[in-house]
Amino acid sequence: MVELAQKSSEARNARFGRVVSRYGIVLAFLILFVILSFAHQNFLSTGNITNVLRQVSINGILAVGMTFVILTGGIDLSIGSVLAFAGIVAGALVTGADPSNPFLAVAAAIGVGALFGAVNGLLVARFKVTAFVATLGMLSMARGATLLISDGRPVPNLSADFRWLGQGFVAGIPVPVICFALVFVIAWVVLRFTIYGRWIYAVGGNVRSARTSGIPTRMVTFSAYLIMGALAGFAGAILTARTTSALPQAGLGYELDAIAAVVIGGTSLVGGVGSVVFTLVGVLIIGVIGNGLDLLGVSSYYQQIVKGAIIVAAVLIDRSRNAQS
Amino acid sequence: MAMTINRRLMLGTLAGVSALAMGLGAANAQDKLRIAAIVQSLDTEFNVLWANAAEAHPLVADGTIELTVLDGRMDPFNQSNQFDTAINEGYDAIIFIPVDINAGNDPVARAMEAGVPVIGSNTLISDTDLYHAFISSDDVLAGEMLARSVIEKINGEGNVVIVEGMIGQSAQVQRLEGIQKVLAEYPNINVLETRTANWSRAEALTLVENWLISNGGDIQGVIAENDEMAIGSLEAVKAYGLDPATVPVAGVDGITDALLAVQRGEMMSTLQDANALAQGAIDLAAAAVQGDAYTPVAAVWDVNGGALVWGGGTEKQYSVPWVPVTADNVEELLALRDGA
Repeated sequence: MVELAQKSSEARNARFGRVVSRYGIVLAFLILFVILSFAHQNFLSTGNITNVLRQVSINGILAVGMTFVILTGGIDLSIGSVLAFAGIVAGALVTGADPSNPFLAVAAAIGVGALFGAVNGLLVARFKVTAFVATLGMLSMARGATLLISDGRPVPNLSADFRWLGQGFVAGIPVPVICFALVFVIAWVVLRFTIYGRWIYAVGGNVRSARTSGIPTRMVTFSAYLIMGALAGFAGAILTARTTSALPQAGLGYELDAIAAVVIGGTSLVGGVGSVVFTLVGVLIIGVIGNGLDLLGVSSYYQQIVKGAIIVAAVLIDRSRNAQS
Repeated sequence: MAMTINRRLMLGTLAGVSALAMGLGAANAQDKLRIAAIVQSLDTEFNVLWANAAEAHPLVADGTIELTVLDGRMDPFNQSNQFDTAINEGYDAIIFIPVDINAGNDPVARAMEAGVPVIGSNTLISDTDLYHAFISSDDVLAGEMLARSVIEKINGEGNVVIVEGMIGQSAQVQRLEGIQKVLAEYPNINVLETRTANWSRAEALTLVENWLISNGGDIQGVIAENDEMAIGSLEAVKAYGLDPATVPVAGVDGITDALLAVQRGEMMSTLQDANALAQGAIDLAAAAVQGDAYTPVAAVWDVNGGALVWGGGTEKQYSVPWVPVTADNVEELLALRDGA
């Protein structure tokens, strides 16, 4: 009897440990949320929640793309530069006396981003260049190209229709948040319910067995970078609309925040394991920390330390989870 | 980390290309006056305006002076290396826009010791005695003008926030000094927040959005140490539903977006005269090498009908006046910009 009771309590503890490690990051987010709600009276105001969601939407869109890439076992360091290039392209189309249709500009930004993504994808999938190196090279090239086409100067005077994309509202919800929500839901459906989604996980999990089971592994890897590039272009258009000019120095270091969100969400850097839902939690954690510490008037230096500590903690939780399973 | 790597990569490419360019230049232009301009970063609009103005200097345009612009990529270490390159390549003079107020001292001393005169332009180093000469606009004065424009608009009473530049740069240090001087005169001005947004529009946008939330919108004015951040702050103020006509936002530099915002009556700005700073520095560099034999050609000098006293080009310090951007002169300033 006693033995039995002990065993079941052990089992319960083990189960409890699994739940904590699986949902630890969600728990951490909730705790953070509650603390900030008490720490500052305006944190929970509708205005601030809208504010945080709008602030995270750029990084959110990038992190969704990054989840695809990291699930295949890759990485994309070039997205900040690709975002800036796409922003300049979109800006150039909607500036001046005769602006193009804003949707054309967004489509152009997405297209240009996808083009950069395709080059990354070719280098990694076809020519077997390490993703880190291929995209590091692209980070530099895309930034140089951005400065070249913009002559190092912002593109001002964007049409009001285009700026709506960054500053407008639909039914009280900021347009960037709607864009992010759409991207997120589509990505979640694709990864969760389609064959293609399963291929992404399979390629990252074990590329050799994926190939033997008939999965077009090269195409799948290539497509992840293509999606990432397209989303970086989309984010570039939204950021440009938010800052009211296309800035050649936009997006510096954004790749790191996107990777951080994915890693905090527990997606494994070796690929095959993870979920875009947890990436969303990672995005929210980074956003809420930045917002909360700003509200409390804490130095931005501390924000960087806190963000770094959470990344390391997330990886440690991830490791203990892997050890258990 | 990725940014540092990025810079290194760019630096490597740049060093290679510029070494090649210099090699070619040296082969056919021994008698030409060769000047290297080491600028902060060609990612920033002001530096680009400066570089374009320098290239448009009449003697550079007609080939009498050979000008090479080296991009410091916002990295003091990179700039230090570029000094060594310029000294080794035997440039006749160096024009310098330092990234960091302290880290710039040592490279200038090295060049002067090697017999290459260094002319400072725009931002400063802390030990300006090291320079052969320098031409700048008084950033303390800019800070004063900036703070005064906001404070006077709200009749010396209310809550303001200060958005700071990259900590440690001369423009940040001196503009803040000017702001604080004016704040001391107004006891009824309450500074709610002071933080850096690293000269960045996107960072300032987020920062001021959050400040507006944390203070429940009770902010009456925004003092931003440059125009990029002022524009970001302006967008945050508008997004919060406040009227920029009653919540004044001010910046410094006179970038194109700021001129447009002044035109719309949404913000205040003070123009830093890139033409005068760049072309004046080239004249000073040429005079440092050729002495009395050199006649300055930049329009900023009194001898050419401008406001600044040339005095034979032998002074240590030249101060280019600031131009407040107003509804009256903004059209004219924008027209000049389109031509550039």
